[in-house]
Amino acid sequence: MKKFLNAPEDFVDEMLEGIYRAHPEVTYAADDKRCYVTANPVPGKVGIVTGGGSGHLPTFLGFVGKNMLDGCGVGGVFQSPSADQLLEVTKYVDQGAGVLYLYGNYTGDIMNFDMAGELAEVDDIATATVTGNDDVASSIVGEEHKRRGVAGIFFLYKAAGAAAAAMMPLAEVARITEKAKARTRTMGVALSACIVPEIGKPGFEIGADEMEIGMGIHGEPGISRKKLAPADAVVDEMMDRIFAEQNYAKGDEVAVLMNGLGGTPLEELYILYRRLGQLMDARGVKIRHVWLGEFATSMEMAGFSISILHLDDELEPLIAAEANTPFFKHFSN
Amino acid sequence: MKSLEPQVVTGLFPRLASRFEAERDALIALDGKVGDSDLGLTMSKAFVAARDAVAALDDPDLPTQMKVAGAAIAKAAPSTMGTLMATGFLRGSKALAEAEVLDVAGLAAFWRAYADGVAQRGKAVLGDKTVLDVLDPIACAFEAQDQAGADLEDAAQFAKQTAVEALEATRDLVAQHGKAAAFQEKSRGLQDAGGTVACILADELNAFVQENLTSV
Repeated sequence: MKKFLNAPEDFVDEMLEGIYRAHPEVTYAADDKRCYVTANPVPGKVGIVTGGGSGHLPTFLGFVGKNMLDGCGVGGVFQSPSADQLLEVTKYVDQGAGVLYLYGNYTGDIMNFDMAGELAEVDDIATATVTGNDDVASSIVGEEHKRRGVAGIFFLYKAAGAAAAAMMPLAEVARITEKAKARTRTMGVALSACIVPEIGKPGFEIGADEMEIGMGIHGEPGISRKKLAPADAVVDEMMDRIFAEQNYAKGDEVAVLMNGLGGTPLEELYILYRRLGQLMDARGVKIRHVWLGEFATSMEMAGFSISILHLDDELEPLIAAEANTPFFKHFSN
Repeated sequence: MKSLEPQVVTGLFPRLASRFEAERDALIALDGKVGDSDLGLTMSKAFVAARDAVAALDDPDLPTQMKVAGAAIAKAAPSTMGTLMATGFLRGSKALAEAEVLDVAGLAAFWRAYADGVAQRGKAVLGDKTVLDVLDPIACAFEAQDQAGADLEDAAQFAKQTAVEALEATRDLVAQHGKAAAFQEKSRGLQDAGGTVACILADELNAFVQENLTSV
């Protein structure tokens, strides 16, 4: 293992100490560094809380900030935060309008968020829950509830954050977030494994000339493993799956997230995006917004994912709204 | 109809804490056969926290006792089993929302909500060799006794006996959840560790009921 560490067991907490030093606009609740919250809660606004395992920066905590999220329970690498930590975040974030729980569809996270919601109810804080399940490769059509949440949750964060910033009530924020979820799809591909610091060796083996289509952001098995193909062919194969799921008509608009998994350079992401643009042109679909870079990583894993949000008149202005967090700046004109 | 007043029921929590402290090593050994050995620690921490939290309340009604106990367990024992027990007490608290005293009907509602909450949160079904395989029979026992118009001491005794038999029956099941699931066939023949926790709850409840009804 070749990583910049002090001790593997301090990986998460020392990362957090660095983040708090660098970004005074975030802080922590309940004297627990893993209860990560905005330093500037907005009175009367619906709070939005996410959470999940570490090892995916900027996901999850990176999107806590203006017009996006208000708090994040930070777990160990690939581990859920505890219900108690999520409850502490919830109590800090609640400004009287209730709290939306918005996180990825993983068993451990669901149990702890549900428990936190039940405990929040004891404290008279209303909560609603939306779980991201954008990963097309993780289950078949008709079984979408079994799909994992990956990079596409970024669009849900953006839609929910803008809706809450517009002072919409909790039920409305949840409805809009559900809509964004129903219209978001992601496909990923991995070229190499990542190393969990406390384990010290790669989570799986993959040949030097192989790729795995559909691999999850914790190295969960994908749909197929095959010889690495030219960039255009890889994009074509991934987009075939996404196009098969949503009816993108001529003239429709989409938002695109080209996400690097941690070990893939920006140059390659632009080569891949070039092909994606060609495919959208061929269908007459307009890419209204595009973000390209690292949004949901798997530490040093090489690979990328494409997330597409099928916009409509309600979602477009929410996605276009400005946002400002330590890890994500969006200035609209 | 016999029943227990809320200020009497608070006495159940010190009893549960003492029992789980006494059973700590036995539960560690049982869980260690197919699990990760933390059950004994988790449950003693959980019920000590519940005891202390309820003791800090001023003349609490039944739903408040159960709610505060559940919240204390969740905080003190953030493991799967701790979370399930916390869920049980919180759901049980809601089922007792209107209850002024604890009677057979209240216990039937409490345990039904407890078992259903655990099933929902743990995503388990009957026969998966989990705590549910003892909790659900306890709920059914109280429901049947309530239907039959049984007295509290008889219902509690019947529920305890049902729990003992249900726990024995878990030996024939094969684990489907958690770390024990990795052992699958190896878990056959072993009494389920989570089920043991549920059996202890029914046993202590019964002992508590007998002690407090006869002393009236």
